[in-house]
Amino acid sequence: MTTSTPVIKKRFKLFQSEESRLAWALISPTAIIVFSIIIFPAVFSIWVSFHDVGLHNLNNVFNAPFVGFENYQKVFSDFAFKYQGIKIWGAAVTSIVYSFIATAFTILVGLIAALLLNRPFKGRGLTRAIFLFPYVAPVVSTAFVWRWILDPRPSGVLNDILMRLNFIDLPIAYLAERGWALVFVILFEGWRYFPFAMLMILARLQAVDTTLYEAAEVDGANTMQKFWNVTIPELRYVLGAVFLLRLMWTFNKFDDIFLLTGGGFGTRVLPILTYEFSFRLFDFGRGAATAMILLIILAVFMTFYIKVVMQNVED
Amino acid sequence: MKKDQKSFIGHLAAWLNWPRFIFSATLIFFLTSILFPFYWMASSSFKTRAEIAGREPVYVPGEFQLEAYKELFSPEHESYQNFGKNIINTLLVATPTAIIAVILSTLGAYAIARLKFRGKNVLLNGILLVYIFPGVLLIIPLFAMLARVGDTLGFNVQDNLGVLVFTYLAQTLPVALYMLTNYFRTIPDEIEQAGLIDGCSRLGIIWRITLPLAIPALVSVSIYTFMIAWNEFLYALVFLNDHAMFTMPIKINTIFNDPSPRPHVVMAASTIMTVPIIMLFLAMERFLTEGLTAGGVKG
Repeated sequence: MTTSTPVIKKRFKLFQSEESRLAWALISPTAIIVFSIIIFPAVFSIWVSFHDVGLHNLNNVFNAPFVGFENYQKVFSDFAFKYQGIKIWGAAVTSIVYSFIATAFTILVGLIAALLLNRPFKGRGLTRAIFLFPYVAPVVSTAFVWRWILDPRPSGVLNDILMRLNFIDLPIAYLAERGWALVFVILFEGWRYFPFAMLMILARLQAVDTTLYEAAEVDGANTMQKFWNVTIPELRYVLGAVFLLRLMWTFNKFDDIFLLTGGGFGTRVLPILTYEFSFRLFDFGRGAATAMILLIILAVFMTFYIKVVMQNVED
Repeated sequence: MKKDQKSFIGHLAAWLNWPRFIFSATLIFFLTSILFPFYWMASSSFKTRAEIAGREPVYVPGEFQLEAYKELFSPEHESYQNFGKNIINTLLVATPTAIIAVILSTLGAYAIARLKFRGKNVLLNGILLVYIFPGVLLIIPLFAMLARVGDTLGFNVQDNLGVLVFTYLAQTLPVALYMLTNYFRTIPDEIEQAGLIDGCSRLGIIWRITLPLAIPALVSVSIYTFMIAWNEFLYALVFLNDHAMFTMPIKINTIFNDPSPRPHVVMAASTIMTVPIIMLFLAMERFLTEGLTAGGVKG
C-alpha cells in the first residue's frame, strides 16, 4: 500500500484539476434547463407583476408598459381576494385556512396509518402497497371518482348510504355548497396525500431504539404513556419536516381543488385565483401579482417556521 | 358443523381484546376507504347509461357492459371520443420526459455526489428551489417567454408536445437529481477508487461501475418521472387547445365537463389511465417506496 500511495496521489491530483471541469460538463445540461425554465421565469414573473401584460401584447412582452403597483392594487381590491366577513373569506384567508387544516389532517391520518403498519401482521407488505394507491394514482381519476361518489343525483353513493342509514333525509350537494365544499376538499386532500406522511413517519418509527420502550416498560408505563413520552418525542423532527413540506405543497396546489369544485363554493384559493386572472381574463400582470402575493405569504411563514419552530424542535 | 362454528367464535373471543379490536377496525376502515373509490371507478365504467342515471346506485353491475369503452374507442359510436389518440399523446409526452430526465439527472447527480467543484452548493440549492415555486406562478412567465421564443424561432407554443416535454423536464429533473444523488452517495467510494487505480477514466468508471450498481435507482427514477408526466394536469391544460393533441388528463376533464353528463365514460377513461400506473407501481413497489422517502417526491 505504502509503495503505491504516491502513484495514486499523482493520479488523484491529475483528476482534481480535471474534476471540476468534468463536474460542470456533467451537470450543465440539467442546470441550464432548470435555470432557464424555473429560476429565470420566477424572476421574470416579478417583472410581469409590475407590467400590463395581456393577450394583446404577449408577442411583444418585453415592451409591455410599466404600471407600478396597479396590478397589486387590483388584486387587493378584488372581491375574490378580499376578506369580507365570516361568511365570505376571500382567496387569501381561504388559502391559509385550507392549507393549515388540510396539512394537519393529512399528517394525523398519516400518523395513524404509520402506527398501524408499524405492527407486524399477516399481509403487511401488501397493505402498505395498497395504502400508497391514492398517492400514486392520477389526480384526475381520483378527483373525478370522488366527485362521482359525492354526486347529489340519486345515483350518488354517499348520499344513498347516508339516506339508507337515516342520517340525512335529502341528498346533499357536498361539493356545491359553501362550507361542505371546503370540508370535502380537505377530506380529499387527507385521503390522497396521507401516504407521503405515512412513509416518512414509518421510516422514523422503525428506527426508534427499542430499548427506550423497554426502559419505559420497566418504569411501568402503559401504552398511551409510551406513545406520548417515547414515540412522539422521537417523531418530533420528522413531523415538523413533513408538516413544512406538505404545507408548502398544499399552499401551491392547483389541480385538486380545480378538479373537485372548480374553485367555487368557498374553495377559491390563491393558485386558482392566479389561474383565473391569467387564463380566463388573460390579465397576466394581475395573475403574476396574485402569484407573488402567494409566494410572499409562503416565504414569510417558512422563514418563521424554520427559525422558530424547527429550531425549538432541534433543541 | 355447529361445533366448529362455536369453536371459531370462541377462538375469536379469546383472541380479541381492546387493542386488537381497535387495530382491526382501523385497518378495515382504512382499507375500505382506500379501495372503495377504485372499485367504484372500475365498476362504474362497466355500467350502462341507464344504470348510471338510475334512481339509486347500482353497487354491483349486472354484467360487463362495454358501452362506455365503445364511446371511447369505437368510431361507430355516435359521440366517439378517439381516446386512443389521447393515450398515444400521453405516451409521446411521458416517455421522452422519463428518458431525458434520467440521462441528464444521472450525469448531474454523479457530479454532485462524487466530484468536488466550486459552486456546488449554490447550484444544488438553486435546483431545489423548485420545491418552493408553485407551478401556477411559473406558468405565466413560461407562457409569455415561450410565446416570444416561439415567435422568433417559428414554432407554436400551443399544441406542441415538445414544448410540454420541455416544461415537464423542469418539474422532474430536480426530483430525479435529488433521488439519484442520494443513491450514488450510498455506493461505497472504495469501489470507484479501485477502478481509478486500475486505470479507468472517470467516464469509464461511471459507465462500468457506478451505473450497473445504480440500476434499481435508475429504474425507480424513470418510473417516477414517467408517472409525473403521465399524471400532469395544469401545464397540459394551459398549453393544449386542440382536441387531437390532448393528453389523457385534459381529455377526461373535457368529457367530464360535457353538457350531457356521462359519468360511466369518465370512469372508463379514468380506469384506463389508472390501471397502468397501479400495475407499474405494484411491480416496482420496493424500489419506489424507498425512492419516495429518499426523494420526498413533490405532489
